[in-house]
Amino acid sequence: MKLIQPLLLLALIVIFISYFRWFRSAVFDKILMAIIFCGGILFVILPDFTTKISSSLGVGRGADLLFYIAIISFSYLIMLLYSKIRRLENQIAELVRDQAIAGAKDFSVKKNEDDGK
Amino acid sequence: MNQQKIFVIVPVFNEDEAVLKRTLQDLLSLGYNIILVDDGSDNDVEEIARKYPIIFLRHRLNLGQGAALQTGMRAAQNLAADIVVHFDADGQHDANEIQKLIEPLSKNECDIVFGSRFLNNKDKQSISASKKIVLQTGRYVNRIFYGILLSDAHNGFRAIDKDAIKKITITQNRMAHASEILHLVKKKLLRYKEVPVTIHYTEYSKQKGQSIFNSVNILFDLIFKKLNR
Repeated sequence: MKLIQPLLLLALIVIFISYFRWFRSAVFDKILMAIIFCGGILFVILPDFTTKISSSLGVGRGADLLFYIAIISFSYLIMLLYSKIRRLENQIAELVRDQAIAGAKDFSVKKNEDDGK
Repeated sequence: MNQQKIFVIVPVFNEDEAVLKRTLQDLLSLGYNIILVDDGSDNDVEEIARKYPIIFLRHRLNLGQGAALQTGMRAAQNLAADIVVHFDADGQHDANEIQKLIEPLSKNECDIVFGSRFLNNKDKQSISASKKIVLQTGRYVNRIFYGILLSDAHNGFRAIDKDAIKKITITQNRMAHASEILHLVKKKLLRYKEVPVTIHYTEYSKQKGQSIFNSVNILFDLIFKKLNR
């Protein structure tokens, strides 16, 4: 076992635990994350395994395959975050709107009172 | 004409004081009710607003024009408005033309009226070439997304009657609301009409208005909106 392998494993496990410890999200996200982490651990322990898969898929090296998978997962993650931010924005908008409507001021009423004086 | 409650919604964000005052005076001189929505401006809009007999609402945070219009629409609903008009504060729109926009609604010919810069040759000439290209492209983008082909893709001057107000809820906080309204018109089977309007492109409004590059933002907002559904 090379030195990089335990280091990578440790990093994966820390991220894995912290994800489930601190981030609550949809079941689908959790399953997906679990698959990604398990895959990561598998690839670290058996580096040759990636080469086998990638050559059967027609991609040269195992590292290239990982790189492609990483790009796809990143794009997915960005989309996920984007839609979450979008939802949050709309919730903030709702709050700000409710507050604005609750605090609406009718200056025409005040003007009329002034005129009456 | 019977007495209808017409509310003109004017969203403002960091608007020049003199320009805003002129807009409000123009509208008031024609006897319209105004709902001024301050979209979290840095300057004290309330200070200006309190000098006029208008309804004033303030967003504590800047949310965008779409959000401000939606706030105005909700306020108008609370006030039992018969018709709301979307009106820009930057002096681009002509208060005298509101009557033209409202007319088809009063006659119950349709539920929503859009102002268009492209129905009149004289108006068309005042638009810069780059803007024309973007707006023309925008028309077809709207056509692809929503199946409605208007002559003017992104005109902020519209009038909506009270039944349609209930059906139109803007969730696009920023500029894509114009396309969102089209989508709702299509989805809720609202009757619409276009009326030629003159847009006054002053140096100020050009500077204040959207850069043509913002159309890219709008496009992405629309795409992601589709994906999120």
